[in-house]
Parts: sequence; C-alpha cells; structure tokens
Amino acid sequence: MAPKKLRTAKLDLSSAAEPPTKKLRPSNPPIFDLSTSQPRSQPQPQPTKRTDVKGKGKGKATQLPEDGSDDEDDRLWVDKYEPTVEADLAVHKRKVEDVRRWLIEAFDGGKLRKYRRILALTGPAGTAKTTTIRVLARELGFEILEWRNSMSDRGGPGDGLGFGDDSGGGGGEALFDKFQAFLTRASACHNVFSSNTNTDAPGPSQSQPQSQPRPTPTQASNTPMQTQTHPNSHRHIILLEDLPNLLHLPTQARFHTALAALCAPSSPTPAPPPIVLIISDSGLRGEDDTDAWDGRWQRKTLEVLDVRNVLGPELLGGPYVTRIGFNPIAPTLMTKALQALLAAHASPVPRDVLDIIVGSSNGDIRSAVMALQFACVAALPASRAKVKSKKSRAGGGAGGGGGSARAVLEAVTRREQSLVLFHLMGRVLYNKRKNDPPSSHLSTKDAAKEREADAQLADPPRLPEWLAQHERRASRVCVETLVADSPIDASLFGLYIHQNYTQFCEDVDECAGVCEGLSWVDWIGGHHSTPTPHAFPTLALSTLHALPSPVARRSQKVCKPAWFGVRRAEGEACEGVGDVMEWLASEGGGVGGLAPSGWSHATIATELGGWLRAVASQPQPSSHPPRSHRLFSHLPWTSGVGGGGEVLEEDEEGAGEDEEDGNVGVRGRGEEREGGAGWWAEEDDIEDVE
Amino acid sequence: MSLWVDRFRPRTLDDLHYHEGLSARLKSLAASGDFPHMLFYGPSGAGKKTRISCTLRQLFGTGVEKLKIDQRVFISPSKRKLEINIVQSNFHIEITPSEAGNYDRVVIQELLKEIAQTQQVDLNAKQRFKVVIINEADSLSRDAQAALRRTMEKYMSNMRIILCANSTSRLIAPIKSRCLLMRVAAPTPEEMQTVLEHVAKKLKFDLPPEASQQIAEDSGGNMRKALLVFEALKMQSPDLSGPLSIAKPDWETYCHKVADLIVQEQTPARVMEVRAKFYELLSHCIPPTVILKTVAERVVERVDESLKADIMHWAAFYECRMRMGNKKIYHLEAWVVKVMSLYKHFVYNFDMSEFE
Repeated sequence: MAPKKLRTAKLDLSSAAEPPTKKLRPSNPPIFDLSTSQPRSQPQPQPTKRTDVKGKGKGKATQLPEDGSDDEDDRLWVDKYEPTVEADLAVHKRKVEDVRRWLIEAFDGGKLRKYRRILALTGPAGTAKTTTIRVLARELGFEILEWRNSMSDRGGPGDGLGFGDDSGGGGGEALFDKFQAFLTRASACHNVFSSNTNTDAPGPSQSQPQSQPRPTPTQASNTPMQTQTHPNSHRHIILLEDLPNLLHLPTQARFHTALAALCAPSSPTPAPPPIVLIISDSGLRGEDDTDAWDGRWQRKTLEVLDVRNVLGPELLGGPYVTRIGFNPIAPTLMTKALQALLAAHASPVPRDVLDIIVGSSNGDIRSAVMALQFACVAALPASRAKVKSKKSRAGGGAGGGGGSARAVLEAVTRREQSLVLFHLMGRVLYNKRKNDPPSSHLSTKDAAKEREADAQLADPPRLPEWLAQHERRASRVCVETLVADSPIDASLFGLYIHQNYTQFCEDVDECAGVCEGLSWVDWIGGHHSTPTPHAFPTLALSTLHALPSPVARRSQKVCKPAWFGVRRAEGEACEGVGDVMEWLASEGGGVGGLAPSGWSHATIATELGGWLRAVASQPQPSSHPPRSHRLFSHLPWTSGVGGGGEVLEEDEEGAGEDEEDGNVGVRGRGEEREGGAGWWAEEDDIEDVE
Repeated sequence: MSLWVDRFRPRTLDDLHYHEGLSARLKSLAASGDFPHMLFYGPSGAGKKTRISCTLRQLFGTGVEKLKIDQRVFISPSKRKLEINIVQSNFHIEITPSEAGNYDRVVIQELLKEIAQTQQVDLNAKQRFKVVIINEADSLSRDAQAALRRTMEKYMSNMRIILCANSTSRLIAPIKSRCLLMRVAAPTPEEMQTVLEHVAKKLKFDLPPEASQQIAEDSGGNMRKALLVFEALKMQSPDLSGPLSIAKPDWETYCHKVADLIVQEQTPARVMEVRAKFYELLSHCIPPTVILKTVAERVVERVDESLKADIMHWAAFYECRMRMGNKKIYHLEAWVVKVMSLYKHFVYNFDMSEFE
C-alpha cells in the first residue's frame, strides 16, 4: 500500500482540480458593472507560473486557468485572487516576518535548526494562515507536502478489494496508519517529486503533462498527499492542516507520539523536514462533559480542538515547537487588500459597501472576499432609500444609516459569529438604556443617531407602586437579537458575565441581582445534554435588570473567566488526592494485606491536611507521602486584602496572555467602542499608516 | 509505616471501644444466620466503615481481609468509559459509585447484576451470600437509587447490600425501608479519650490527660480527625506537654479568613476578592458544600443575633441549588452577595435608627 500511496501524489493541479463552480456571471447587468471591464483587467493566461503580478504594484496577483477566458468566472475570487507574493498578503508584516524567520532557521538555521521542528500557526479562521505559508513557499522556494484526510480513501485505494474494509469499523485506525505512513515517507524520502519535475518535465508546461502519464486508478479520487512543487527546490515542509480525528483519545496519543518521534534529536541525519501545523480556533463551550464539580474524580474528555490538545503539553512545552498566533485581519489592512482586488477587477465598489463588508467580516478575509464577490455579482437595488433597516442591532450599533443595499449585504454576509464576544459582553454589561447621556467619545452626529434610535424605543408600561423598585427605563439592548447573534452558548455567556459583572456594579445589592440570576439559571438550566433555550435570554435579562443604569465608565476591562484555570488546577489537585489515596492503601498493606481503608477522596482532601503538614515539617520524616499532596493540602493565605485582589488579577492576565481555554479576541483590550473596531490588536492598526 | 488511624483501626467487633450496644447487636445479627440489607449512617469519622469491616469479619472470618483492588471499566450509555476502582475479597465487594459521577446508575446496575448472578462457590464460606458495600450512598443519583431499589428485592437470595452514608435524608424512602438502619453516632469526648489513650498505650508512651482532652474537644466527634491530630502533634512535640497548638488544616483557616472578608466590607470589589478565594479553595479539591458550611458557620459567629437565622437559611437555600446546578461557584457567590447585602442593610438600618 505504501508504494501505491506514493504514486498517488500529484503535482500542483490546484487550479485544474478545482471543481467547477457554478457560473457566477449574472444574466442581468450587475450593479457594479464588472462584466465589461473584466476581460481587460485580466492578464493573458500564462500557465507557467502563478506569480503574475498585476501591473499595479499593490495589485492582486492572479492565476488563471489554462483554457479560455470564459472559464475565469467559474472560480471563486478567494481562489482566483489568492495572493502569491508577500505584498499582497493582508497579514501584518511582522507576522509574516516571524514565520519567514522561522522557516529560514528551520532550513539553514545552524544551531537553531534542530529546535525548529514544528511550527504551529493558530488564529481565527480566514486570517491567511495557510496563504502565508504558501506565499513563503514560493518566495523561499520549498515544497509543501500536505496531508489530506480523504473520505474516499477510507477503504484504502491500494487494497485489492477497494471498498472491502470500509465497514470494518476500524476506519479511524486505518486512516491513522496512513497518516503515519505519510509522515514517515514525507520525512524520509526527499525530492522524489521535485527531481521528477526537473528531469521529466522541463519547460513551462510542466504541471499539466506531469499528471497525465500516471495511470493510477486512484488518480481521480482524492489523494492523501498533494505536493506543490517548486522547480529546483530541495527543501520541503510538511503541512498539516487537515488533522486526523484527534478528539479520539487513542488517535490523539498516537499523533503525539508520531510528532514527538519526528522531533527527537536522534532523527536520521538528513533531518526530516519541518512540520507546519495550522490550527484554526474554534468556538469554546463552557460546559463540561462531566457534571462539573460533581464528577470531579473523573478525567474530563476533550471537546474542543485547540493547539494544546493537538500538540499535547509535552510537545508544546518542549523546545521543538514554536507557536505563532495570527490575529484577525485589521480593517484597514483588509480594506486595502479588497481595494487592490477590486482594482485588479477594475470594478468600482462604493466605499460604504466596502466598509460594510469589512465591518461584517470580523477580520476574516476569506469571508470578506466572498462577500465582495457576492456584492459584485448580485443585482443590488440601486435605490438608497432611507429605510430604517431592522438591522440596527440591539440598540446602538452602527445606527440606522444604511439603505437597502446595506440590508441585503449584511443579511447575506453577516456571519454566525458576527456579534463578537467582546461586543456582546460590552452590550450587556454597559446596560445602555433609553435616554442615557451620550458617552464622551461620541461625535455629535453619532449622538444624534443615538437619540433617534432612542425615540424608536417604546417605553415600558409603568409598574404598580409595590413593584416600583423594578422600574427601569427601556433598554437599548434587544435581547432577542442578542440571543440570535451570540457566538457563545448560555453557559459560556454565564461564565463571562460572572467573571466581569462586579466591575460594573456600584453596590452589593446590584451584585445580588446578577448573582441570583446566574444561580437561578444554573439551577434551572438542566443538564447540559438538554439545555433549556431560555437560559441565555433569562441570563441576559436578569443581568440587565440588575446592573445599574447608566453604568459608570471606569475603563473596565472585560476578562476571561478564571473558571477554566480553576477547573484545571482542581483536576490536578484531584490527581494528587488520588496519589495519596493509593499511597495510603499501599502503606496500610504493610501491616497485613490491604487494610480496609476508611478513606474517601473528600476525607483525604479535608482532613489529612494537618497531618501532611506535620510530616513535611519533620526533619527525618518516617513516612513519605507522594509530593503531589501539596496540590490540595497546601493552601497559603495570600497576604492581606490587597494581595487577594492581585492574585486574581494575575490569574486573569495570565489566562489572557496564554490564551488558556479562552475564546476569540477578548483580551480586555480597553473599553468597548460601539460598532467600532476596538478589539483588533493595536499593533496591526499602527502599521496601517505606512 | 502507615497512619495511626489505619494502624490501630479495630479489626473485630470486640475491639471496638465505644457503642458497645451496637457492637453486641451486630454480633448477634451476624450469628443469627440471616442477615438483612443494612444502612450505616452517622457523621464523618464516627466509625461507620470500621464497624462495617468488623461486621464482615464477624460474618465471614479472616478471609474477608484478603483484599484485592481491581479496576473495572464500565461503558456509559453515551459510550464513555468509566473506570471504577473496586476493592474486593472472596466474600464481599466494595464500591464508591459516586466516582462515576452522573453515570453511577450504570455502575450499580452492571456490578450488582453480575454479583447477584454468581453463586458463592467457596464451600467453606460461612454464609451463602456475598456482601456489597456501597460507600457514599448519599451521593448516589436518583437514578442509581431507583436501580438499587429493584436490585435489592430481586437478588436478595445471594447478595446483601450494606450502604454507608452520612445522612439518610438524601436516600429515597424505598431504600431506607428495605434496610436495617444502623446509626453510628459520633463518639463523646470521653469515648474519644479512651481511644486516644489506647493508642498511646499501644505505642508505649504517656499521653497527658489535658492533651487528650484538648484533642478530643477540638476534633468535634470525628475520631479520624482526632487520631490524625494526635499523630501530627506527637510528631511536632514528642512529649506532648505544655500548651498544644492544634493546627487546623489550611483550608479551614482559609475559610475563616474568607468569612472575615465578608463581614469586613460589602462592595463589588470585595465580592471579587472572595471569589478569588473560593476559586482557590475549589482548586484544592475542597468540596463546595464543605466550604459553604465552614464559611457560613464562621460568619454566623461574627454577626448580630437577628441575622443568624437568615444567613443560615440562605446557606441552605444555595446549597440546595448547588446540588441541582452545575457551576458551584455561582451559588457560593450568590450566597456571599446575599449575606453581604443583608449585613449591609442591617448595619445601615441600625445606624439610622440610632441616629433618629
């Protein structure tokens, strides 16, 4: 099977292999009128390279399919205008530089080389992680060997029966065997393809004929390995983007061993190629599989794939792994990139449409390009009637200015995660209500907009006298939209509220309201397998009801819940308890068989502390309990009142910096600016000016 | 060199130092040929498990002390693997189903069925039944208790169940009615002193009566705690003379300080501080109910008489929610905030009335 696999590797056919998407050219003239300008704007097909840069310096490089110009619309813009040189990348220069430096060090870094084994690129989806690698591959001249899990390979293309073992149930295992084989081969046998390229198929038309003379039956099916060749390259990297099923714990363990083996300094002399792992952040859930603190003696299972469980703690903490996190693409950079793309297309798109696209993409350039393409092909109603779009989300947001074009665009391009967590928290915690005084940073125009929006809000009916303490002004927050737009589920939302509400309260009574809401929802919320749909709105409403109005602005920082860290620490302490329990059992065994021990986890954790301390204070202790007991028995009071606050602060910051279990970019980056772009890394914004 | 608690644990019913009446009954029960399901309950450290193992020995002889530990894997309905440690001899088996969290029902059902369907094969066995000991029975889920109830009836012929719990209030009535209830009360200070002196005599050193008295009073009826404290003290000051400073476990002092924080100041910032402390306690594996209880008892000591009832009421209220809910910290904190709010209003109103 192994040799078969090798043959199935094919050369760069990414353009030809692209499934033909449906024609995007509209029958009726689009509003942005691309069709006339398109032929002019495209360069003539040049099948040799993908590195044709447009005449305009900043222009998007394009690669065209070999055949006629009629097909050019078939491909999505995302693929068509994939950047090929660094200048086109919308990624921050420093990030690209980081990656480049790592790659250079990995190839000929001298001493550093042996530590440049694994590069983990992390970040939200659509932040050009893969593209950066591809661009650098072109620039530095190395090949990318990429692993693909392919469904059609399940049965194994090399088996005589083909589909025979598909039903065997061991699909995952078999697939992983293939993965391992891929890793071994990729790290061991160099340059087979590149030398082929150089010898067999010289000349400009190398890629196309290369695939033809291979009569393998699996040619047409998905291949597990795809190489992207670069002429004269003797270097390559292994790109792992499509990972085996790591949520399956045995698979994960094997994956870790395989990677660790590749890292080991004892690898064969032609050092195996560096590995680049691309891990897109996915959402996080605040639930536990086990019943939180009750199932506390149970190991918890994996739910979310992130860099920590992909690589495992040993690798991640070891010297061989470098981690580079990509931030969401800054709006300015993205605008620039999109404008360049449009310039390549010679299709003018109104600035405000562009702004909407950029704004609604949340730093995801893939979705932005998609949206842009959509904007250019769809016939948008030209009338810019001042329709009050109902998308003036949840009071306050972008205001009501847009026309129907905006409404259509937003409705289409708005992604699930559109209301980023940070804004969500801001919206709830600042508890804006009707006729709040406008905040200082608002321009007069925005303030006017705000007033206008306020006028639309209906006042709630007056409450009877005995309920007067529950009287509130109408909220600018629309809980229904909040629920619909929220990127997180109720339990994570609860954790965030819990972590942050105290800063927004003036008084314990207000805290009491919020806390009661949290407690009530957690109590009523049922088991996580059957979550109640009412949890989220109830939580939002109770919080809004309890918070003061208006909330005093003290440049509060929204922090990530410390809860996850606590959970982890607790898990470790539990293992400590388990160790001590085993030790007690074995000690008891010294007397005569296993003593029937009266120890339970709880009694060890609560009652053994004093004794353990006494043992530790002995100069020559007569018994040696496992050292891990300190995890639960040692609990120093962090000095005084102020110290307590600091400790938590530290925890929060630590969690933020480490991105421990956290979600997308909520890292307490200052105050929320409404509808603004306050949550991208500031360094990106600074760079834009250039 | 094991702990004194384990080393001097009585092995037979005759060795037990207190609750002689109970011991005598257990003895005659074991001799009577038939044996009911039993439920031992009583406070922590009163000697429930010791009495259970003594009873077993009375029933089966010394063979019951040849123990082995197995790890059994159960598959939950959602295909998760549960690993449960099982201590067993030829005559009995001991499990702690709460280790399985929510899936304790699976463990109970599988295990009991398996045991019940195998006959005692040892011809020399004194009894024809096997005994299943279920520890921490009061933390069994409702599901598991319901499963248990059916099993208890069905397999009575070759299995007896001994439940061990702190309180009967969390067990469903059908289970209670199927068991012979055995209350193991906490020993009195005098009884504890006898035990301590017995241990000292075994170890051949002299225990000053003041020391034993102080230890006994400090440990609040928890024999295990008393022996641990005793051993720790002996390590620290070998002659056990002079004023003894009985060191509380870290978490207990910690809880007391948390209570002080609550009483000192009632602001949102303080809520945050208290939360950090709670997190610290939770991450040291201190059960949240224990935290709530310890802190509440300390707070009650420090506030005005008229507030005490309310504070305890809310502690009970939020403890109940905590059991139903998922994230314990919410409920702990909700209680803290409630207490702060009560206390604040109390102080405020008090000042006002004095002012007028």
